Amino acid sequence: MIRQISVFVENQPGSMMKVTSVLTEEHVNIRAISTFDTPEFGIMRLVVDDPVHAKDSLTRRGFVTRVSSVIGAELKDEKGNLNQMLKILADGQINVNYIYSFVIREGKAPVMVFHTDDFERAEKVLRAAEVKLVGEEEL
Amino acid sequence: MIWAKEETLPRSEIEAIQLTRLKSTVRYIYDRVKPYRGKMDAVGVKPEDIKTLDDLKRLPFTYKADFRDNYPDGLFAVDKKEIVRYHASSGTTGKPTVVGYTRNDLDMWLNNVARLACMGGATADDVAQISFGYGTFTGALGLHGGLEKIGASVIPMSSGNTNKQIMFLQDMGVTLLVATPSYALHLGEEVRNRGLDPAKDMKLRIGLFGGEGMTEAMRDEMHRVWGEQFVCTQNYGMSELCGPGVAGECTKLCGMHINEDWFIPEIIDPETEEVLPPGEKGELVVTCLGKEALPLVRYRTGDLTRLMYEPCECGRTTCRMENLSGRADDMLVIRGVNVFPTQIEEVLFKIEEIGPHYEILVERKNRLDVMTITVELTDDRLLDSYGKLSELEGRIRAALKSQLGLATQIRLVGPNSLKRFEGKAKRVTDLRKDGL
Repeated sequence: MIRQISVFVENQPGSMMKVTSVLTEEHVNIRAISTFDTPEFGIMRLVVDDPVHAKDSLTRRGFVTRVSSVIGAELKDEKGNLNQMLKILADGQINVNYIYSFVIREGKAPVMVFHTDDFERAEKVLRAAEVKLVGEEEL
Repeated sequence: MIWAKEETLPRSEIEAIQLTRLKSTVRYIYDRVKPYRGKMDAVGVKPEDIKTLDDLKRLPFTYKADFRDNYPDGLFAVDKKEIVRYHASSGTTGKPTVVGYTRNDLDMWLNNVARLACMGGATADDVAQISFGYGTFTGALGLHGGLEKIGASVIPMSSGNTNKQIMFLQDMGVTLLVATPSYALHLGEEVRNRGLDPAKDMKLRIGLFGGEGMTEAMRDEMHRVWGEQFVCTQNYGMSELCGPGVAGECTKLCGMHINEDWFIPEIIDPETEEVLPPGEKGELVVTCLGKEALPLVRYRTGDLTRLMYEPCECGRTTCRMENLSGRADDMLVIRGVNVFPTQIEEVLFKIEEIGPHYEILVERKNRLDVMTITVELTDDRLLDSYGKLSELEGRIRAALKSQLGLATQIRLVGPNSLKRFEGKAKRVTDLRKDGL
């Protein structure tokens, strides 16, 4: 079992950045991250190197933060491995509430994939900032 | 048509009626309503001290809080068996403000409503659709009864269900609509969205509006939506005073005529509580004359307005009150329902997972009021799943719906997101401009 932190964030510009900037200031390293949105708010879930320190730092700055346990399963980067793990859980009648993946990949830079309603502008501003956009063929 | 001769009496005769009725009302309330007798004794005024209309200002005020302190019927002057009707409106906290009527009270009330229906141009030939919500709210049954008195045909439609509203308007040849002005605008736009032109495809010619104020901008918009032929007036009342029937606009549109033989208006400075000279703006205070079940002396309405005593071109001599220009307190009118922030606060304080701070935002979207309440989430256990957070939202909404009788939107934010106040908190933002 590994511990994750869950942070309540409002669905508005900069709200996730406020969480990551606290973690940066506190020298907490983010290993995995996921968010889901509703029209008004989101829950940001993170696996970090020091969850207790992360929770303390965030709570002190007014974020509602919770530490809870999740299961970490190691998968080889091969076709069908995720399916295989989900099949085992499904056969065991185990419901998966949410799933997300680590951002650190062996030998390669981590890739963040995100969705926006304004793709063209997002691509434009990222290119302008010299951020390398990765295509499917490079994944 | 003018419904009652009392609407056209010379000033001296109106005042003579007021004085006679004031003396008997004060004697009646002193003998029968213990909380009010206590107030009079406390300031040392006896019924026999009221010799002129000017002596009215010696009498103590009655406040909305008196209803709460004497809930449900401690201000009533008659035995339960004399009551033939109860109504209720919002209280400042969890308990509603309950009012009651004897048979004579109902008759007086509905005659006063008949007067304002006539002021707005209604006749026995009208087919009237009542699109106020029925129930304990006085608006629907008040207009219903008053319009029946003048012989109009009444359709007790109630609020909501736009398709059915429009079907009845068309199929029944409705000529008169009773609604809140914002709902009438919403309905008119829905009619137009269906490709209908109200001026050609409908017979509607009169709107009698209440439950919330109608600004001149809303009246202009009403003509744009429903057509120039549409004569729209508004009327004024509140359940404590009887319901609708206290005052109404005539078709000259120069203020709302107060039924002065039954209600004595005063304008006071809400801070100093001093009576202001005629024509000045302040808080409206009303003394009800001749009410049996629930006599009220110097009731603080909280509404800000001014009074005009010049006779009106319509022939009525009763004084007129200007369109309301706000409240002396923090009461909000949402979709015609009175809402006090204290009612909302009481609900929120009982919910453990959120903090004590909140903000209320009122907007008008698609002509209808939308109230959004922002609260701070404090309990981290809810972060286990979205289900828990949305369950909390649903629980807050349901509790508010039960308290206010209104649907609200809830916005959850993190702790310390909302502004903190050192002095008097300003928690309400009302973005409705000119009612549009």
